[in-house]
Amino acid sequence: MQAVRSGEVGKLELLFDRHHRGLFHYFLHVTSNSAVSEDLVQEVFFRILKYRHTYQTGTAVRPWMYQIGRNALIDHVGRNKGEVALPDGAGDFRSPDAEPDRQAQSNQEAALLKRALRAMPREKREVIVMSRFLELKYEEIATVLNCEVGTVKVRVHRALRELGDRFFALRGERAS
Amino acid sequence: MMCERVREQLPECLAGKLDKAERERVIGHLETCSACRNELAELGIVWRGLESMAAPEPNRAMRTRFMEMMEAYQAGMEQAPPKRTAPPAETSRSRWLAWWPSQPAWQMAVACALLIAGVAAGRYYAGVPKEMSPEMAQLKGQVEGLRQLVALSLLQAQSPSDRLRGVSFSSQISRPDADVEQSLLRAVNHDPNVNVRLSAVDAIEKYTADPAVRRALVDAVAVQDSPIVQCALIDLLAEVNDRDSAPALRKLVQDGQVDAVVRGRAILAIRKLEVTK
Repeated sequence: MQAVRSGEVGKLELLFDRHHRGLFHYFLHVTSNSAVSEDLVQEVFFRILKYRHTYQTGTAVRPWMYQIGRNALIDHVGRNKGEVALPDGAGDFRSPDAEPDRQAQSNQEAALLKRALRAMPREKREVIVMSRFLELKYEEIATVLNCEVGTVKVRVHRALRELGDRFFALRGERAS
Repeated sequence: MMCERVREQLPECLAGKLDKAERERVIGHLETCSACRNELAELGIVWRGLESMAAPEPNRAMRTRFMEMMEAYQAGMEQAPPKRTAPPAETSRSRWLAWWPSQPAWQMAVACALLIAGVAAGRYYAGVPKEMSPEMAQLKGQVEGLRQLVALSLLQAQSPSDRLRGVSFSSQISRPDADVEQSLLRAVNHDPNVNVRLSAVDAIEKYTADPAVRRALVDAVAVQDSPIVQCALIDLLAEVNDRDSAPALRKLVQDGQVDAVVRGRAILAIRKLEVTK
């Protein structure tokens, strides 16, 4: 990123290869729409080019990049407030190598969990995505969210707890 | 209090991110607290369940789009004039102030003189036949390049209104450009917004001299899900007298699944193509 900042913008290709999947998964888990997620990834790299001078030398690239990603997402949500996001099925995630019966049960569980995750407020959903899917460190999440590490710890726990409550309610094991 | 602190550490415990001392402290508490054990068991089910939700791989076209964006950006940077150090604002302002008379009467006189000179010059130059100077041609070329960059950039924007503006910019480019052509074709085929697709169909007309573009438009008719866009494509093919599209249009007419209005439009287009043979 240091090279990109000092004008070697071609080096951004390396950053794209390294981070575009993670960013895509972050947006996909939060928006449930692959076309929107792909557009948002492009937007992130465009913003990185445009605002490369704001990168502080010596700091970690990943949190800075996800900060830009989060801002792009917030802008997107703001612009499309009136629109209802239609999930495109790209979020129908499955594990490919399970036996048929277990596969069916596991698919059903995954579908319920996915429903529960989608029903959560965006802020809570994204801390789960960052900690579970992107495996960002709490320090990194704190930088992205601009808060203390202790706050991240509390938010991740509460979000996971809420996801559990929603999931078990959908399974009929708990009152919603 | 102890329970609360331990519970906040459970996600890290599940992720295996706790150091040895903290893990032992959490385990020590769990051995004596059944409520926290239940909490760990439930969070564990959710945590492991999330593992099965691994997201799919992104589309490979994403990289192509990224490279296009990079090329457009780098081309834009090359065309941008080198930055010059601006003279201090105070100096340039004081130079103008020295020239400008301080008396209001003289100020009025100078303003009137400038107005008359402006009108006279305007009349004179309006009568002079226009010949483009090399500087003018260069400037025009730069504006053209800029329009192309803006069009390419906007065509990739998230907002449909920005993409519509991108299509509009592409219409202002007088020289056909391969990148813009591909972006417009992509918009015709894949843009989620019908209005953007319709505008892209209009904008791509100037590229229809290229047989590959006409073939792509014929293919696009069959895959479009919007009858309005299908009609626009059929009209365009008839307008540019693309006789090669007739077999595909006949096939469309015979397809019962296709919207009746679209089939009617295809019949009209086929007739038009036959008349102009």
